[in-house]
Amino acid sequence: MLAGKEIRRAKLRFGLLSGAVGLLVFLILFQQALLGSLLLSFTGALENQSGTVLVFSEEARKNVSGSVILPPEQAQIAAVEGVGSSAGLAEGTFTIEAKGTDVDASIFGFQPGGPGEPTRLVEGRLPTTPTEAVASKEDASDGFGLGDTVTSVDGGITLTIVGLTERSRFSVAPTLWVTFDGYTALRKASNPDATAVLPSVIALTPAPGVSASQLAASVNEQVDGVQALTRSQAVNEAPGVSSVNTSFQLILVLAFLVVAVVIGFFFLILTVQKQSTLTVLRAVGAPTSYLVKALLKQIFLVVGVGLVVGILLTLGAVKGASAGLPISLEPTTMVVTAVGVVLLSLVGSLFTLLRVGRIDPADVMNRQNAGGLA
Amino acid sequence: MAALELSSVRKTYTSGDAEIVALDHATLEVGDDEILALVGPSGSGKTTLLSISGGLLTPSEGTVVVGGQDISTYSAKQLTAFRRDSVGFVFQAVNLVPFLTARENLMIVNDFGSSRSHKDAKARAEKLLDELGLSHRVDNLPGQMSGGERQRVAIGRALMNEPALVLIDEPTSALDTKLGEQVMELIVSEVKSRDTAAVIVTHDQRMTRYADRTVTITDGVLAA
Ligand SMILES: Nc1ncnc2c1ncn2[C@@H]1O[C@H](COP(=O)(O)OP(=O)(O)OP(=O)(O)O)[C@@H](O)[C@H]1O
Ligand SMILES: [Mg+2]
Repeated sequence: MLAGKEIRRAKLRFGLLSGAVGLLVFLILFQQALLGSLLLSFTGALENQSGTVLVFSEEARKNVSGSVILPPEQAQIAAVEGVGSSAGLAEGTFTIEAKGTDVDASIFGFQPGGPGEPTRLVEGRLPTTPTEAVASKEDASDGFGLGDTVTSVDGGITLTIVGLTERSRFSVAPTLWVTFDGYTALRKASNPDATAVLPSVIALTPAPGVSASQLAASVNEQVDGVQALTRSQAVNEAPGVSSVNTSFQLILVLAFLVVAVVIGFFFLILTVQKQSTLTVLRAVGAPTSYLVKALLKQIFLVVGVGLVVGILLTLGAVKGASAGLPISLEPTTMVVTAVGVVLLSLVGSLFTLLRVGRIDPADVMNRQNAGGLA
Repeated sequence: MAALELSSVRKTYTSGDAEIVALDHATLEVGDDEILALVGPSGSGKTTLLSISGGLLTPSEGTVVVGGQDISTYSAKQLTAFRRDSVGFVFQAVNLVPFLTARENLMIVNDFGSSRSHKDAKARAEKLLDELGLSHRVDNLPGQMSGGERQRVAIGRALMNEPALVLIDEPTSALDTKLGEQVMELIVSEVKSRDTAAVIVTHDQRMTRYADRTVTITDGVLAA
């Protein structure tokens, strides 16, 4: 009765607070959606390929574009105990003409059937001949749609798009997946002097009973000059990604703290203002738990409304934005954020809860005129 | 059975190194439908006596029996339930919850774990407010009422749970003489019309004529 009536008679106050919490939740969620899509267009190709371990050359420092694996190393890697299957995965940037304009695209050459294949095919099929390619759904409207043809500017090789992937872009550029033979042809066409075309990294899958991290450790131990990383390490430790991650996370932490502080101060001020009223209620027989419950109810109500407002705003914004920028909001992100906001609101209100718990009913006699009636 | 029995109640406060004796071996009995006026100079211990009788403070020595229950050894939790069920309070100034209407200010005591249904509580609250001449004020917030009306709502709240004992601290000090007399008359008629005893603290000698008996307190010592 207490909690609800107070809110009903101070709608503006509580409404503004819920609105503020809603905006903060929106900030937190939208930022995470943005970060997710940004990171995906950086490293989606690594995340959504079938090799669970990727072996880089050591001097590449986890950068796919700077890595090259020589044939003897490739043989050594394939011979490491615990390797289930291995295949070369090549990556390079090519200027591609699509829809009449030249763009820099990232092209991956993979061994069909081997580790390193794209796993997020949403339309069509994987390439089987050297002149077929799979493109990203996100780039479909820029001349990379199913059935479109694109041409490499240096060498004039024409590729037909036979399939589309999602979440498999690389370096924020249009990304194509071709067979390793197709990749070799593209390389040789643009640079006729090239002798052999080497893979950038080796994609591995572990043998049954071996985990990806165990396999990576064995490769690092047994093969000199290379660095094996599990797929998630390769994604999270890719150059640029970790620094982007750190700065986004800092802002996220700050936003969460602001939620805690805003909620905490609001309820503290409110509680101090009505301290004398709460003392009277204790004096006429309200148990401490009654007052604590009323406060918790208000906190949950305000935070709940704030979460609904924030989630609706975010869903609206994601819908509006996804035309240009492919962003999406994972349900887990929403749930984790909601739980985080609720927990931090409680942490922010801890002091106020303790204060309510410590109200001494006998004070009602001492502080005769504190607060006044209205 | 007496509504209130204090036997050799002593209450001391320590402030710094000094020990203040607020009540010194106070012994007092209030009959089960008696109205007792408690008068005395400022600082004599009136509020302390009221607080101990209502379970807001525990005595340093002596026993307090209210409506047959010895509350001197009650825990804080037991005292909270005792205040809810067995006594009614009217405090000097801060009494009402500002964001609750007159009716809700009465009904809220029913919310603390009483066995009475919401519907019965509502009916009782409205009946009490009607008796107190506030039937036109049931949906008003305290801020929309006069001082006398607020004081009457507080009396209604004190009677809400049918207590054996009502404790009233300076009910008229904030009101002018005429209003004060009206409020006293209301208290007397409400208390007399049911099986309830009352202790009324006042510094105004004129108000003592409403009581069955007057007890004077000086420096913590009671005198009939
Ligand atoms: N919490 C406390 N700590 C220390 N001393 C106290 C406390 N409460 C009351 N006293 C002292 O105890 C004595 C009795 O106080 P009490 O409030 O009972 O007097 P009172 O008769 O109600 O006075 P008044 O008419 O001014 O309200 C006073 O000397 C007072 O200063
Ligand atoms: Mg007093």
